[in-house]
Amino acid sequence: MVGIHPAVRQVKPYIAALQGIGKLVCVLALGFVLAASITQVENAQADTAQAEELASLDREIDAIKSDLASLSQALFELEESVLYPADTQVAVFLALKDKNGLALDSVELYLNGSPVSSHLYTDRERESLRKGGVQRLYIGNLPHGGHQLKVILTARSANERFIRREMRHQFRKRPGESRIQMTLDAAAPDYEPVVSFQEWK
Amino acid sequence: MKGWIGNLKPARCLALVLLFGSGPGAMAATGHPELDLGIARFALATGDDAAALWYTHNPETEHESLIRARALLNTGRQNQAVALLDRLIDGDYYRGEAALLKSTLMVKSTLMVKSTLTDGDQNQSGRTRLLELASQKGHGDIRQQAFFHLAEMARTNERPERAGQILASMDSGYWSALGYMNIAADYAKRDLNPSRALISLRVAMAMVEEDPDRERGEALKAQLLVRAGLLAYENEDYDKAISFLEKVALESYSTPQGLYLHGLALSAKGKHRDAMQSWHRARKYPLAFPGVAESWLGTGRGYDLAGYLGQAGEAYLSASASYDSERVTLRKLADLIREKGAFEALVAGAGETQAEWFLADSRMLTQPRSAYLLRFMENAGSQEAVRRVRDLDNMLDRMAQQERTLTVFRGVLKERLADKSNQASGISEAFAANFDALVRRISSARENATPGSDNAMELRQLALTLADVRDSAGRFGARVDNRDQKLGELSAKVGIALTSLEQNRQRARQALSQANAELDQRVLTYVDSEAERMTVALEKAEQQIAHLYEYLALQSLDRSAP
Repeated sequence: MVGIHPAVRQVKPYIAALQGIGKLVCVLALGFVLAASITQVENAQADTAQAEELASLDREIDAIKSDLASLSQALFELEESVLYPADTQVAVFLALKDKNGLALDSVELYLNGSPVSSHLYTDRERESLRKGGVQRLYIGNLPHGGHQLKVILTARSANERFIRREMRHQFRKRPGESRIQMTLDAAAPDYEPVVSFQEWK
Repeated sequence: MKGWIGNLKPARCLALVLLFGSGPGAMAATGHPELDLGIARFALATGDDAAALWYTHNPETEHESLIRARALLNTGRQNQAVALLDRLIDGDYYRGEAALLKSTLMVKSTLMVKSTLTDGDQNQSGRTRLLELASQKGHGDIRQQAFFHLAEMARTNERPERAGQILASMDSGYWSALGYMNIAADYAKRDLNPSRALISLRVAMAMVEEDPDRERGEALKAQLLVRAGLLAYENEDYDKAISFLEKVALESYSTPQGLYLHGLALSAKGKHRDAMQSWHRARKYPLAFPGVAESWLGTGRGYDLAGYLGQAGEAYLSASASYDSERVTLRKLADLIREKGAFEALVAGAGETQAEWFLADSRMLTQPRSAYLLRFMENAGSQEAVRRVRDLDNMLDRMAQQERTLTVFRGVLKERLADKSNQASGISEAFAANFDALVRRISSARENATPGSDNAMELRQLALTLADVRDSAGRFGARVDNRDQKLGELSAKVGIALTSLEQNRQRARQALSQANAELDQRVLTYVDSEAERMTVALEKAEQQIAHLYEYLALQSLDRSAP
């Protein structure tokens, strides 16, 4: 039988006490871990609830957008019917032929000497025209017969010149919708703007 | 002859023409597919989705379908858009673009629906297939974007090698640079040695040089340089850090942070005066930007290290004063947010409206409120929160405008319906007699005119116009008979539109108040965190001042000791 060293015997109560503290620490640590995981779960649940709420708000915004788009279309249709009856309707469009020759700054449109439309271009609009977009510059009513269209444009050409040009076009308003497309071209090397007018029947 | 033409009284002719000219109206699109496509394209690009949908209401070509799908997506009609996109994916010309659009939509729907893990996995494999298709069939930017998203998916799924392979197959430009920047961030987090991250950043810098959008490229380059500078500084390679940070453009969003780090690297090399110059420049920016608050402290520290203790004390005092005043600014901003709402206080008040475009210049960076807005908007969730409020705000504006227009229409239609004075159908006999007389006068004048002369030409035009008037007059009777029915139909349409508009407005108002509450909460949390940051900076400054005074006091004690 091996006897216990007196020193060990002296230390034993402390070891027992330490073991007790160890157990307490373990229990406390477990408690902290549990509390932390409960908090984490609660936080996750709160996050999920908030995300759900935001998702439902996004869905509602999309639904309102969709309804608004339907209304906008209805209004567009009504405007066309009430304001611009087909027989007197005249629309003027602008398109670019040469994509890089000119960067449009502004366009002013005159019908029979009266200003009817003017437009300052944003980068986005210039880019859209460059990619083949067609802008409706004007829509209105005119009586049958001969009319004059005058367009004043300011632009920067590809050779870094600022340009202001004035062009005129005579046309006859016939029954039915009249659509006049102005196509702007500025070919190298001098990038002089040329506008061609096309009447869509 | 000339006098006779003058007697035709063009004004009267015009009045007659206008009277007969009012036809039934209502155009479908223009009826010319080429023109319709161009108009729809411009409308979509300029945000007029209703017009884009109108001009592509019956899409015949794939291009029209693509424009319509985009407009549908913009107006929240995802199901209809997906149907069109699916057709385009199976089509010939826009497979890549449609696949990319649909893949973007899948990310959004995953976020919105909060799908389960299995759904998420399916979503991910579906998205990968779409992105692969977009990278194979797409061109230019579409292809590069698809590659970028594929690389991002590989990277976020812990497959950096695969991400690297995808990035290596990309063309130089913005998207590849972005991909390399993200990979560099991953390497920087994982590796103890910064080489891989720095190489990735250098590749990204080379790639971004090829970005055709110069402004975007410059902004990304500045960000890359700051990241590279920080990485080199953290690894104590100060010369390399300085060489990166010196290249950060002075007009960029990353400039304040770049200047602070530049000063830090110089200071680490013992060049305190040069460091202070950089910090002095950084201090000119609002305290909202990263590095600015630290630059104020850095100046004091620089004087301290250079041996100018008096100036150091002054620098710390001015830093402390500026933090204090910033706390007041933030407190006022928080009060304003509570009073007016975050959107009004921060976004709408930041000079972002179209009317003030001419004021928008580089000084925008030096406006404290704009600076806080920019910092707040760096977060994707914040962007979404602001987008929600802005969308609803714009929608309510548009609805108010539509209501005004519809009310005017309702009034006009009511008046026209009530007005029975022009109800007599057909053309009066007197008018017909006048008209016939006019026709006879023109034909006799034409007989007398010299063929090919100006007068003959003019008379020919007048005869044509009269023929047009005759056509319109022929249809006039039938139009008048249908007038009331038409006006009634239009009036009913206006009534329905107004009712539905009111319902929509109420829904939008409710959604707006919810979106505003969410944004307010977010912004207030952000403002509080900024105030906390200022408090910490203030405490640091005061600590430095205390240290300095303690040191000066000890020195003076030493000097006075016998």
